[in-house]
Amino acid sequence: MNTMQSLPLLQNALTVGAILFSLGLVGILTRRNLIVMFLAAEMMLQGISVSLVAWSRYHGDWGGHVLVIFVLTVAACEAAVALVFVLQAFSRTGRLDSAAWQSLREATVGRMIDHELPSIDTLPPRFPTLTPAGILPPADENEPLQRQHV
Amino acid sequence: MTAIPFDPFASGPLLAGAVVATVASLWLLLPNGRDSNSARWLGMLVGVAALAAFILAGRRLGGLGEEAVFLIVSLVAVISAAATIVSRSPVYAAIWFALTLAGVAGVLLVLGAQFLGVATIVVYAGAILVMFLFVLMLAQPAGLAPYDRVSNEPFLSALAGAVLLGVLSLSIGRLTAAPAACCGLPSRGTPVASSPPASADAGTSTSAPDAGAVALAADPLAENHVARLGGELFGRYLVSVEAAGVLLLVALIGAIAVVSRGEAALAGDTTTTRPIADRSSAR
Repeated sequence: MNTMQSLPLLQNALTVGAILFSLGLVGILTRRNLIVMFLAAEMMLQGISVSLVAWSRYHGDWGGHVLVIFVLTVAACEAAVALVFVLQAFSRTGRLDSAAWQSLREATVGRMIDHELPSIDTLPPRFPTLTPAGILPPADENEPLQRQHV
Repeated sequence: MTAIPFDPFASGPLLAGAVVATVASLWLLLPNGRDSNSARWLGMLVGVAALAAFILAGRRLGGLGEEAVFLIVSLVAVISAAATIVSRSPVYAAIWFALTLAGVAGVLLVLGAQFLGVATIVVYAGAILVMFLFVLMLAQPAGLAPYDRVSNEPFLSALAGAVLLGVLSLSIGRLTAAPAACCGLPSRGTPVASSPPASADAGTSTSAPDAGAVALAADPLAENHVARLGGELFGRYLVSVEAAGVLLLVALIGAIAVVSRGEAALAGDTTTTRPIADRSSAR
C-alpha cells in the first residue's frame, strides 16, 4: 500500500483545492452580481471536493468520496433554492445587484455610493463578418417572404 | 531530497512572491470601472508569474506522464477559475466556470475518483450550470450592467484571498508522511468505533487474510470502483443517503412554494393563497 500513499500527489491536489477555494472567496467578497457570487460559492465547494478526494486517495478509504457525493447533493439543493431567491430579488428591483438590497445593512454601516462610471464601454463589440461567396441570386418579387406551412 | 521533501527556507520567498503576485494580478484584473487593456494585460502577465511560482513550489510526482496530465488539468481548472471571477459579463463567467468544472473533473480522475469525475460533469455542468444560465437569460439586461463593471474593495478582497492561500500552502507544504503523534489512523475498512487503539503495526491485531481483503475492499484504486462505491454508500452510509434524499425533497418543495407565493405577491394580491387554490380548482 505504499505506492498508493503518494504524498506529493496529495500536496499538489491540496494546493489546487486551496487555490480554487481562495479564488472563490475573492469572488464572493468582491463581485456584486448575485449570480457571479453564487458561481464563486460553487467554486469554493469544488475546491473542498478536490481536497476531500485527495485525502481519500491518500488514506485509501471511501469517506472522502461519500462526503463529496453529499456535497454535490447539498450544492444542487442550494442552487435551486438560491436561484429562486435571486429571481425574486430580480423581479422586485430589476437588477441582479447585491447593492440594491443595501437597505438591509446594519445601522452603523455607511451607505455604499456608486461613483460615476464611463458612460459607454470603451470596448465596442466586434461581430464577425462573413466574406460574400458566390453570386447573389436574383430576387423573385412574387415569392412570398414566409411560407404558409412549415 | 527524499528524506525532507519540503524545505521552508528555500520555498518561503517563493511562496511570498507567489502571494504578492496573486494580490497584484487579481487587483489588476478585477473589474474596477476603467476598462483599460494595459492593466488587463499586465494583470495576466503577473498572474502567469504567480502560477509559475506555484508550479515551482509544487512537488514533483513520480512519472512524467502523470505529472504532465495533472499539470494540464489543474492549470485548466485554476486559470478558468480566475477568469470566472474577473470576467465582466456574467454569461462569460458561467461559461468559464463550466471550464473550471471540466478541469476539476480531470483532477478528480487523476486522483482515482472515476465516479465523482463523471458526476461533476453531469450534475454540475449539466444541471446546475444550465440552471444558472437559464436565470441569467431571464434576468440579464442587455449589455454590461454598471454593477458588473465595478467591484467591492478589490484590493482588500484580493489580499484576503491571497493571504489565505499563502497560509494554506504553507501548511500543505509542511505535511509529512509520519503518522500523527496523538492518534493512529483508523484501520481501513473497519468502522472507526471498533478499531483498536493505535498499534505499531496493523498486521498483529487482525488475521492477515482478513486484513488483506478488507484493505482491498477499501482501496478506491482497485477494480470495480463504482460498484464498491455504491456498496459503501448504501451500506455504511445508508442513513446519510436517506437524509440527503429528504433534503432534496424539502428543497424542491421549498423552491416551488417560494416561486408561486412570490409571483402572487408581485401580482399585488393580498391573499397569497388564492392563485394556488384557483389553479387546483380549475384542474
